[in-house]
Parts: sequence; C-alpha cells; structure tokens
Amino acid sequence: MKSLSPKEYQSGPLVWVGVIAATCLVLFFFQQILWLVVPFLLALIMYYALLPLKQRLVLSGFSHDAAASMVSLAVGVLIVLLLVFSLPLLTAEAASWQQSSMRYLDGGVNLLMATLKQLEDKFSMLARAHLSAELTQGIANFSEHFAQKYLAGALMTIAAWAPSLLLAPFLAFFMLRDGWRFKRFVGQAVPNAFFERTLYLLDQVDRTARQYFVGLLQLTLLDAVCLAAGLWLLGVSAPLALGLVTAVLAWVPYVGSIVGCLLVVLVAATDFPAQPEIAYGAVVLFLVVRLLDDFFFMPLTVGKSLNIHPLLTVLMIFVGGAVAGVPGLMLVLPVLGVAIVFGETLGLVVTDPRLRARHVHARTLRERIAAADL
Amino acid sequence: MFDFLRRQSSDTVLRLSESSLFSGLANSDLKTLEGFTHARHYLPGEIIFDQGEEGQALYIVVSGQVIICHPGKSESPIAELGPGSFFGELALLDDAPRSAQARAGAETELAALFRGDFERLMESHARIASRIALQLARNLGQRLRNSVASQIESA
Repeated sequence: MKSLSPKEYQSGPLVWVGVIAATCLVLFFFQQILWLVVPFLLALIMYYALLPLKQRLVLSGFSHDAAASMVSLAVGVLIVLLLVFSLPLLTAEAASWQQSSMRYLDGGVNLLMATLKQLEDKFSMLARAHLSAELTQGIANFSEHFAQKYLAGALMTIAAWAPSLLLAPFLAFFMLRDGWRFKRFVGQAVPNAFFERTLYLLDQVDRTARQYFVGLLQLTLLDAVCLAAGLWLLGVSAPLALGLVTAVLAWVPYVGSIVGCLLVVLVAATDFPAQPEIAYGAVVLFLVVRLLDDFFFMPLTVGKSLNIHPLLTVLMIFVGGAVAGVPGLMLVLPVLGVAIVFGETLGLVVTDPRLRARHVHARTLRERIAAADL
Repeated sequence: MFDFLRRQSSDTVLRLSESSLFSGLANSDLKTLEGFTHARHYLPGEIIFDQGEEGQALYIVVSGQVIICHPGKSESPIAELGPGSFFGELALLDDAPRSAQARAGAETELAALFRGDFERLMESHARIASRIALQLARNLGQRLRNSVASQIESA
C-alpha cells in the first residue's frame, strides 16, 4: 500500500479545528509566561538576522561554535558601544522629555480642536453637542492625572521587564551555537516508521519560521524607508527615526499601525501648527504605506512564508487579540504557521495506515527480541 | 548542560570514512558531516522505506546489512548492502518515489543524510557538499553504464 506524500496530503476539517484550538491554547499559555515568550521571540528575530553572518563565517572555515561566538561577541560589543555613547545623551535629554511630550500632545490636541471647530461650524448638530468643549475637558483631566496614575506603574513594568529582556541576547547566542543540532536531537525521539516524514515537516517549520522572521525584518526596513522618505518630503522633523519607530510598531497588527499613525500626526501637527494640511498629509502618507504594505510588501516578504488564506489570517488576528490581547495580536500568525505544520504532520502520520502498520511491525519485532529468552 | 545536543560518535565518523560516497573527505570534514546526519537503528526485518514512498533521505550503512527488494519479495533481493554502502541517493536530488523497498537484513545501524540537511550543507560547507555530489554523480554514471551494458547484452 502506497503512503501519501507530504505534498499530496490535504488536511481535513478535524485537523483545522485542532490547529485553531491549539493556536488559541498556545496564545493563552504564552500570555501567562509573557516574560519568557517576549525575550524568546526577540532572540528568534536576532537569531534569524545574524544567521547569514554566522554561515558566512562557517563557510570561510570557522567552526560553528567559533562562528557563533564571534558573531555574538561583535553584536555584544556593538550594543555596549551604542549604550556607552547614547546613555549620556539620553540622560542629558531626559529632563526635556516631559516638556517635549507635552508639546507634542498640545500640538495634537490643537489640531484636533481646530478640526472639530471646523466641523462644528459646518454641522450644527455637532455644535449643539459641545463636542470640542467635552473633548478639551476630557483631555485636560487625562493629562493632569496622567503622571500620578500611570507613571509609577509604567516605571515598575519597565524595571520588571528589564532582566527578562536581557535574556534575549543569551538565548540568541545559544540558538546560533546549538540550533543546528536541535533538529537532530528531536529526530532521535521519532520512531523509524515516521522518521522521514517528521523530519521533512520539521524542516518546513524551520523554513517557515526563518522566512517569517527574515520577511518581518525586510518588511520593517521597507516600511521605514517609505515612511521616512514621505515624512522627509512633507518636511516633518526626524523622518528616519519616526519611520523606524512606526515600522517597528506595525509588528502589532492594527493597534501598532494606529499608534504609529497617531505618533506621526502629533509630530506633524506640532511642527506645523498653522498648517493642518501637513498633518492630514501625514495621515494620507500613512494610509498609502499601509496599502503598499498589504498589497505589495507583505506578499513579497512575510506572506511568502505563511501560506495561510487571507480570511483565516484576519479572523485569527481578531481571535488572537481576544484570547491574549496585544501579545496575542503579535504572536498569532507565527504560532498559527507552526501549528498548521504540526497539525499537518500529525494528520499525515495518524491517517497513514501504512506508516502505522510499519510502526506496529517494528514494535512487535522489538518486543519479540526483548522477550526471546524469557 | 547542553551536552546531549553536542554528542558525537567517533565510531560513526570512522565508519562514514569507509563509505565510497565520502572518499576524499578529511577527518575534520567527516566530523562536520556527522553533525548533519541522523543515526538510526533497525532490527532484522524492519522496513527502512517502502517502494513508491517519496524519498527524503540518503542512507549509509554504518553496520549490519540492508536488503533492497520489491515489496513482499525479500527472499529474492535486488541487492544486499553491507557497511560502507549507501542507498536511496536519488532522494538527495529530487522527491521522486522510491523505486524499491529497503529492509534491514540484520541488526543495522544507518546514518541518514536528509535532503534539507544536504541543502544546508551546500550552503554552509560547499566544499564538502560538492565532493559528495561528485561521488554521487560518479556512482550514478557507473550505474547508467552498467544498465546500458546489460541492455546491450540482452539485445
């Protein structure tokens, strides 16, 4: 009896239900151990970003261990140098941060008020509702008690997260050094009958993860360049930094993009208080880059790795957000990609009677040998 | 702590050097190659792969004996392979179905070189991979010549 090849296999509805349920469970579990998941995810991004560099060193004659150590050391030195040079600058600037943030917030509020005033002038219904007055009062209350309410909590969160984030470089180092041996170690646990099939699918998991994270970095770069170029043309200050920050924020689907857009609008409104059209231009630029992202950049980068139906992608993003909040939004697609491959592996192995028969045959042989002299 | 990931069998390295596929590789190359292979243990009569199955790995016989046969006809094997021999080599080139069944004739240790790992070997250790590919091509050429010769003889 001929076995189905991994390419011929089509997952049934039961496998899909299992994949979606497993994704939700994993996301829920991840939310509980977020202090470990976030550094692990950062380490994975670092690992896939540094892997080509390590492979280049291996190709030029260094051992895996030496190449991993050299790459990690170089990155470590770079980070330390960056910290050494940027910390004095940052601490000197820290005092003006509050003023700057208040200035940008005021800029944003002014733009909002100006827009609302124009709308109230045009639509009497809005004027009767005193929308701008209500909103001004709400924002004033929020900014007055902001430091009192949230600042201590935010600082405590940063202090609690800092040690676990320091884990990321260590994890990345061990991934670089021992990652290539891991598949071999996992392969040892797989029975002979399922060995080739399981290894093929483990290889697919590795390829999917690699393409996803490398794709994510490429997407971030493309987004950052497009946004920076657009903001520079509009004349907004610090276009490169803003472009990079908003591109990184886009790692969180939907929420990240909205926060990024708000940030850009605040800066544009503050830089050009008398020209609201610049802020509106920034919004248009953001929308154009989002469209470019969804229709051109995504399919070229991340979309290539996760062969998931767009409808399922959108639905799962909502499910991820509902199950695990913002971390769920960020993690749902990679987790779903890996769950699909695992689901297909299990489905393929469990539904193949020839492979199961071979496994039973091998087990019988082992039992017969073990019981031979009893 | 992670020594379980780094375990390497010097015995397997020695046995790999006996295979014609790896002739011309230095000891250090064999150690690197061993890191890319998977050690498998089979009992007498256990099936290694089936005819018609999509091939994903090449196998090198480290110890024991492997019978290449048509399914259900292990008494009249196509070939019997001992230590140093290799089989399933076409799986490294494409994913065409296996042309015969492979079964362990005795207690057998195999080293499996998976296609994905061979592709990674080509990326990271091009020199080792090219030598293996050359030996593979020579082996296939020899087989083609034998096949043509036997066709001429039968005609």
